[in-house]
Amino acid sequence: MAALNQEKTVELAEKTVDFALKKGADEAEAFVYQGLTTNISIERGQIAKSARIIDHGLGIRVILNKAVGFSYTNILKSGEAVEETVLKAIKSAKASKPDKEWRGLPTKNSFPSVKDTYDNKIFELHPEDLVKAASIMLDAAEKTDKRVFPIEGGVGVSHLSKAIANSNGVQGFDRGTFVECSLATVGREGSEVTPVCFEFNAERKYDINPEWVGREAARLAVSALKAKKIETKSTNVIFTQFALQQLLYYTLINAVKADYVQRNQSALKDKIGEKVASEKVTIYDDGLFKGGLRTWRFDGEGVPQQKTLIIEKGILRNFIYDNYTARREERESTGNASRAGYLSTPNVEATNFHFLPGKQSQEELINNAKEGLLVYYLQGAHSSNPASGEFSVVATPAWVIKNGEIAYAARGVMLAGNIFDVLMNVSALANNERKIGQLVAPWILVENVKVIGK
Amino acid sequence: MKDFLTKVTDLAVQKFGAEYAEIRAQKLFKTMLTVKDGRIEAAKQGIENGVALRVLVNGAWGFASVGTFDIETLTSAISDACRMAKTASLKLKTPIKLVETKTVEDKISVKPKKNPAEISVEDKIDTALAVNNTVRGYDKRVKSCTIDYLDLTGTNYFLNNEGTYIEQDKLYVWSRILATASEANVLTFSREEIGSTAGYEVFDVETPEIVGKRAAKRAVEQLKAKPPRGGNFPAVLGPNVVGVFVHEAFGHLAEADLTLSGSVLLGKLGKKIASDVVTFYDDGTIEGAFGSFKYDDEGVPTQKTLLVKDGIVVGLMHNRETAHKFDAKPTGNARAEDFRFEPIIRMRNTFMEPKDHSFEELLEDIKFGYYLKSFRGGQANLDGTFQVGIQEAYEITNGELGDPVRNASISGNTLETLLKVDAVGKDFELWPGRCGKGQTAFIGDGGPHVRVKEVLIGGSA
Repeated sequence: MAALNQEKTVELAEKTVDFALKKGADEAEAFVYQGLTTNISIERGQIAKSARIIDHGLGIRVILNKAVGFSYTNILKSGEAVEETVLKAIKSAKASKPDKEWRGLPTKNSFPSVKDTYDNKIFELHPEDLVKAASIMLDAAEKTDKRVFPIEGGVGVSHLSKAIANSNGVQGFDRGTFVECSLATVGREGSEVTPVCFEFNAERKYDINPEWVGREAARLAVSALKAKKIETKSTNVIFTQFALQQLLYYTLINAVKADYVQRNQSALKDKIGEKVASEKVTIYDDGLFKGGLRTWRFDGEGVPQQKTLIIEKGILRNFIYDNYTARREERESTGNASRAGYLSTPNVEATNFHFLPGKQSQEELINNAKEGLLVYYLQGAHSSNPASGEFSVVATPAWVIKNGEIAYAARGVMLAGNIFDVLMNVSALANNERKIGQLVAPWILVENVKVIGK
Repeated sequence: MKDFLTKVTDLAVQKFGAEYAEIRAQKLFKTMLTVKDGRIEAAKQGIENGVALRVLVNGAWGFASVGTFDIETLTSAISDACRMAKTASLKLKTPIKLVETKTVEDKISVKPKKNPAEISVEDKIDTALAVNNTVRGYDKRVKSCTIDYLDLTGTNYFLNNEGTYIEQDKLYVWSRILATASEANVLTFSREEIGSTAGYEVFDVETPEIVGKRAAKRAVEQLKAKPPRGGNFPAVLGPNVVGVFVHEAFGHLAEADLTLSGSVLLGKLGKKIASDVVTFYDDGTIEGAFGSFKYDDEGVPTQKTLLVKDGIVVGLMHNRETAHKFDAKPTGNARAEDFRFEPIIRMRNTFMEPKDHSFEELLEDIKFGYYLKSFRGGQANLDGTFQVGIQEAYEITNGELGDPVRNASISGNTLETLLKVDAVGKDFELWPGRCGKGQTAFIGDGGPHVRVKEVLIGGSA
């Protein structure tokens, strides 16, 4: 099945809005989503799986007397099914209660242009090309060391498109491509198994290096062998982007969402203009980041995405808003409404959360740390206290830094503390910025982190 | 439906030479609500119809998922899946084979006392608002309350080329309550979950007042809690924490796909890995429990699977592929979230068997330690490193419960920790939960109260 074209999707969205208004909605918004994904997967040392997933659907939000109803369907071919969906949304709104804070859907705005978010080459790829890339990755890992066992991974490409229309005349269409290759490995020697080590490339254009991914995933697994326990103390910790992403996702990123702030769930409430991090820390939420994994022309409710300054040299400058939370404060949305395809109503979410890099190389950063811990991944970050930012997590794998060099792998290490103390204690940043999920960041060096060992 | 689905699998076998072909069709209907501080964010309803096709060609898997029952689309999707499988098989070292299973023809209907599909959205909103009112009304230090509600009803159709055909009704009711409280500079957070495959009658037991109070009370009591000391301490784990420990720290390692990937249980079948008092099950047959179902997504009947008996590993959780590898019987653990996903090995209701100790007996010999009552997330690694976050804990001093403790977590190595389990309680609780392994599964977990000689507590004090 070919992708629904731009004209047809926008037309479907507009017709759905019109129908909702005709049926009595005060306001209406339709969102049409389509995703096509092709994957070749590696499982336990071999390429043995393939998948093609086609998912499309339409979500309709209607407002009646300030009460919001939502309904979705994935049956798009039948006009009847779409109309039924609209009627369900209206029925839901009627069953619901008015929201006195409701101040309307977004109004019409022009959308910015974005760079490097779409690659025509994706359509020219055959499954054979993906098998070839997966095979290069696998060979690179296995060639590195015979103690390495590739447990899972693969190569995948996807094409997403979305169209939106609302009763205020908002109308938009955008499409994007994604390419990813990844490999998870463990190192095995005698009875020792390492924690899972992982490396990947994720890009908007077909610009991946499976050979590097395979080699790196293998190198990590080998160096995670012969891990030792360490003493409990407060020390310097370097967080890689993986660890930082896990930590921030459940703490800081929630704390800057206007929804959390307005509902007294954020430790950053009333702290605009105050120092909340070390002066080395500058963070943007950049919905227009070139080639960013969350870069789109407009957000989940048709508001232009934008670049918002969050923390400037340690000073908290802004929160991120969707239309609803923005209007509650009589300000403009920052284009941070996100939705899970056609299945959900919009929610406040970060786009590309960009932690500006420093000047030091990776090696210089390790050298500067002198003594401490290099933490690759965290386990259990989702059990952090999302309100206060307190966390208590396992660092695995992690490596001990001695005399400014990586000495050996550490096992059974926990980190405990509060994200805002961590941000205050950032003492240096590397220049090795990369994209991981919604984070764009370098490695960061943090002083005085509580490390719990034996 | 049967004849229609057979046409599609026949095509895979006859035209593309597939060794195996299966088709899962779904007609699902969902209602969802999110209530934030008494404001109904949106009342949501949705239809998801779709088909998942899976084939084995030359020993490699091909999978295709489409959100339609349209025969042309299905024909092209299964052709695609077969061609992709053939391509994937180019670099295959060991062809995939499936263990043989008995073919079945069956139709499973659910008979809820209260069918969520027949309950009005208004009623569901009223229930959610009643929870909200209980939480918000509990204490003025409660600052926010978020309630998510989901129900899912519909039918799954399964057919494979071996002659199995199953129509199985699906029913899930789930709700999550999040409460935060604050006083001075302390912010606390509390979570409660409800889940059932029986019906909307779950709210007659877990009433809005009971659940709301549980969530609110914890958030408020945590305000005066102190951070734990970091280090190794004796601990008593509550059923809710034992459940997540059995699920995360042990269960994932005993999912045969992860065992084969090199989890620390590889090569441990028949060996002793835990103290004598430890017996674990994964059970899909408990009526109404959140992780129960009749047939898995490969058409294999569910069962009660013994994993650890008196400290010895006696079983793993299998799908047809891993059962063949281990020369074992399939256990009915293959589950797919919906038609967008292929079935993988998932847990059902995983729990520890109770023994003979009372709660007081478990506490009495502990001079200083922690009582870990309720969890907030957990995660395990293949090397056996586990972490379980704790949302409610207390100190134990001289055999007695003491001050509340907040934001603790426990960690360690699963096998080392299981050998340190030295006493098991006689009570039992099973809790609903959701598990992520690239896709979400509804599960249950639980057990009795359990004492562990020592476990690493991550604390900031």
